[in-house]
Amino acid sequence: MGRLVGADLRRMAGRTLLLQATFNYERQQGLGWAWALQPALERLYPDPDERRARLAEHTAYFNTQPTLASLALGAVAALEEQRAAGEGPDSVALARIKSVLGSSLAALGDRLFWFTLRPFAACLGVLIALGGSWWGAVALLVCYNLLHLGVRLLGVGWGYRAGTAVLGEPQRRRFERLTERIAVLGAALVGVTTAYLLAPEGTPRVLVFQAAFAAGLGLGLVGGLRPRPSPTEWALGIGVLCVVATWFR
Amino acid sequence: MNLQVLATVLLGGVAALDAVPVAQVLLSQPLVTATLLGAVWGQWHVALEVGVVLQILAASTLPVGARTPEDFAVGGVVGTGVALATAARLPYAMAQEAAALLGVFAGLLTATFGVALIKWQRRRNEGLSRWCEAAVRAGDEGAVGGAQRAGVVLAFAVGVGYCAVCLALGVGVLGPLAARQSLRLARAWTLAQPLWLGLGLAQLLLAFVRQRLTRAAVFGAALLVAWILLVMGGR
Repeated sequence: MGRLVGADLRRMAGRTLLLQATFNYERQQGLGWAWALQPALERLYPDPDERRARLAEHTAYFNTQPTLASLALGAVAALEEQRAAGEGPDSVALARIKSVLGSSLAALGDRLFWFTLRPFAACLGVLIALGGSWWGAVALLVCYNLLHLGVRLLGVGWGYRAGTAVLGEPQRRRFERLTERIAVLGAALVGVTTAYLLAPEGTPRVLVFQAAFAAGLGLGLVGGLRPRPSPTEWALGIGVLCVVATWFR
Repeated sequence: MNLQVLATVLLGGVAALDAVPVAQVLLSQPLVTATLLGAVWGQWHVALEVGVVLQILAASTLPVGARTPEDFAVGGVVGTGVALATAARLPYAMAQEAAALLGVFAGLLTATFGVALIKWQRRRNEGLSRWCEAAVRAGDEGAVGGAQRAGVVLAFAVGVGYCAVCLALGVGVLGPLAARQSLRLARAWTLAQPLWLGLGLAQLLLAFVRQRLTRAAVFGAALLVAWILLVMGGR
């Protein structure tokens, strides 16, 4: 039985980029998870039968926010290391730990990455692109990936060292503080973008633009509180109405 | 033009990969693909106009849990591609605005209908997962890597194929409309663009504020200060 080395963790980190390559409704990230964990299993279980059994176990259902999955992967690799030494949890306990880690990380990660950082990066990119610059796309990519790729690639090592304590109270609070700060900055950024749209280069837009923009904003604020119609359906409906309105003018 | 179309279709495949199966570095976001396509077609203005609208509408479409979100990855490429291909044939200003409007429509429709294709793909992957587990238990450890490769190839092929079909339909059906009705469509764009931007920004605002009064106050203060600075700076 061996111990995991830096090269194993780096291989696992690289493989997390394909965590969702075979994403599906039944097992969600299960297969990608097994593939990412495979380097650790190869190191820890020299007996092929045992290794295959462990690998097959890990193809079962797993789902979490993909960026923070790296943390869970590192923590589970540490548990597998203990298990291979005859000390760690059995299959049932490990599956339960995976499930708890997955749902806890999803709760944090969805809020941080999907609901906050991604809209923030998009808004920053749009604000810069409104000035006609291609730097908007660069800003979007850099702003999101500094944290996303950083956590995704370094998270495996972090999770491995921390084990199941990776989601302890200090870490949880750190993530929540970060989410809060980005959300406040995001609210300010939407304010600046709105001001820029209404008066680019300091010259207020024509009344039709301002009225239509205010109408869209109001509609979005009211409509956004309901799940249906979706924003895309709203956008399609608005577009059709505009064409009809101008067609028969 | 053929090379530009080819690059657009391939970018559709790359965007489909980034959206879910590979890395998710946001290369698939409409603003990024529109910027790349603007460089390929040499038409920054039209590309960014379409890209900004689609980006702001896509920003609140999130792949959370098992929900199947609209396919704004391929939608962004098709929308910008249709607008650029149409604008390339009609190089006068009014037709370019008409092309932008039709591009946003093409993007939204592609994103909406793409949901069915994503669902189909995920069902294919279910079979792949079951096969993989059985193969591993039977002694083939390489099956996991093989299944992963198959998932990536399938996503790329579906992205390229869907992008090509939607692009062809968009240019074939909407292109002639832009040539014949550019005045009306350009007028519709002047009305629809601010409505779309307002709608999208409202979604972003809701995402950030989440019923917290202090964040709403930050939005209001930032709007006011930025407005004053812009107007004063403009004078």
